[in-house]
Amino acid sequence: MIIRKKYLFYVLAITSSFIAAAVTGIDSFVGSQPAFKYDPWAFAFSLFFIGAIITFLISLVLSIKFKGKSIGGKVLDPSFKQLRMVQKSEIKYHFVAGLMNAINTVGYCAIVSMVQDPSVILSFSQIVILYLLLMESITDKDVPTLVEVQSSVIVAFGAILASISLTGEFQLLPILLVFLVVNPTWAIFSIYQRKLKIMKINNRPNDSINIRFWNVAFSFLFTAIILVIFDLFTSGGHLIAGLVASINPYYFLLLALTMGTTYFSYVLYIRSLGMGKASVNNAIRASTIIFAIPFSIILLKMGVITDFSTDPVMLIIKVIGMILIVLGIVSFALAVVKAYIFITVKTGTPLRETMQKLWDIRGVSHVTITSGKYDFIVKVSTRTLMKGYERIIRKIEEIDAIKKYHWESVLKDWEKI
Amino acid sequence: MQPGKTDKAIKEMRELGNIAKISIIAGEYDIVVRAQVKNLEELLEVTDKLQMIEGVNKTTTQIIEKEITLQ
Repeated sequence: MIIRKKYLFYVLAITSSFIAAAVTGIDSFVGSQPAFKYDPWAFAFSLFFIGAIITFLISLVLSIKFKGKSIGGKVLDPSFKQLRMVQKSEIKYHFVAGLMNAINTVGYCAIVSMVQDPSVILSFSQIVILYLLLMESITDKDVPTLVEVQSSVIVAFGAILASISLTGEFQLLPILLVFLVVNPTWAIFSIYQRKLKIMKINNRPNDSINIRFWNVAFSFLFTAIILVIFDLFTSGGHLIAGLVASINPYYFLLLALTMGTTYFSYVLYIRSLGMGKASVNNAIRASTIIFAIPFSIILLKMGVITDFSTDPVMLIIKVIGMILIVLGIVSFALAVVKAYIFITVKTGTPLRETMQKLWDIRGVSHVTITSGKYDFIVKVSTRTLMKGYERIIRKIEEIDAIKKYHWESVLKDWEKI
Repeated sequence: MQPGKTDKAIKEMRELGNIAKISIIAGEYDIVVRAQVKNLEELLEVTDKLQMIEGVNKTTTQIIEKEITLQ
């Protein structure tokens, strides 16, 4: 099927958000169970312990070949062939992403244990978009454009308004945990998952299924190490409590359900991370707030959370927040300019050298050496034409080997998925 | 492209096999089509089919020798 790539990116990110909202609902229910309610450490350990088993099993099933292609490759990520060992070049990224995920999950579990309404839990974590914008401008030397800053701020504040608890409760400790633990770790985790997704493994694009599997494996390892150290220093028994809870058949099923569902949310999220910046992805992911509402209603019906406030002012604030989220996402979607640059080069400079110089230019997504009328075809994307000139054309003109180039803006495109 | 035939031609191109990407562009060319083929025989098939589409006046083929990409 050939569809517009932009649609694919948004479909992936929004589907992932929808599943994430369902996961938060299930997590709230699991977190309210007696074994986990007062022990977020044990909860985090159990999540990754059972998560590692479930992730392994699902990944194995997805590796089964059907008509020459794996099920995972057909259904979730075309780059996926089969479950494989982690590569040497990936280890440092998995190491950081796994550690961040472990810390993030411990913080998240602590919050889930303290508050019960998912729309409260998700609230201030949306500020992570702003953390990401800042981090991307430092690490990727990718200074955000005005549109990106505006849209991110709109989404972040919209998310805060939309997630004001309908139960009206506000607790300081969970908010501090969000700002100091959940947000920074999630921002680093997202950046490193993106780094992994855009890597090439054996000359093929890296796939989101293996990235997810190895991330859970590393996260499990780090959670276990953190818990052992924590238990040793505090003479606690969280690790044992987590293990005991995990082997309880009822809890096992609940944890398997939450981690099995999380698996699909993450695989789609990692795949969309390969298509767009982490900050833009997280802005789209803010739509989780909207999707969380029906799940909150289900939890209310199940008696897991207390009654909603029907105060009209609260409801209006929530609706304004949702409108802001949608507006922000739409403005992100509309503000992208893509172009092809057709290049001919002078003789006397190795093509590989010129290729590397072109690849080093920010905003370049493809560099292709071709035979025919042109020597290179470069594909670029930029938020505005002005940035395209400042960041791309100027840099191309600095490359001595280039004899002639011409820029052709993309008006509309379709891609096979 | 012959003026006024782009939409219909794009529709037909989307139905062809071996097509990975289609972009409408502004400048010297009107459409960039990226095809993935196993051999030159298949490439010939693609260019042949493209040239048969009503409205296509001229095609130029560039063969990819090496590529770096984000995805």
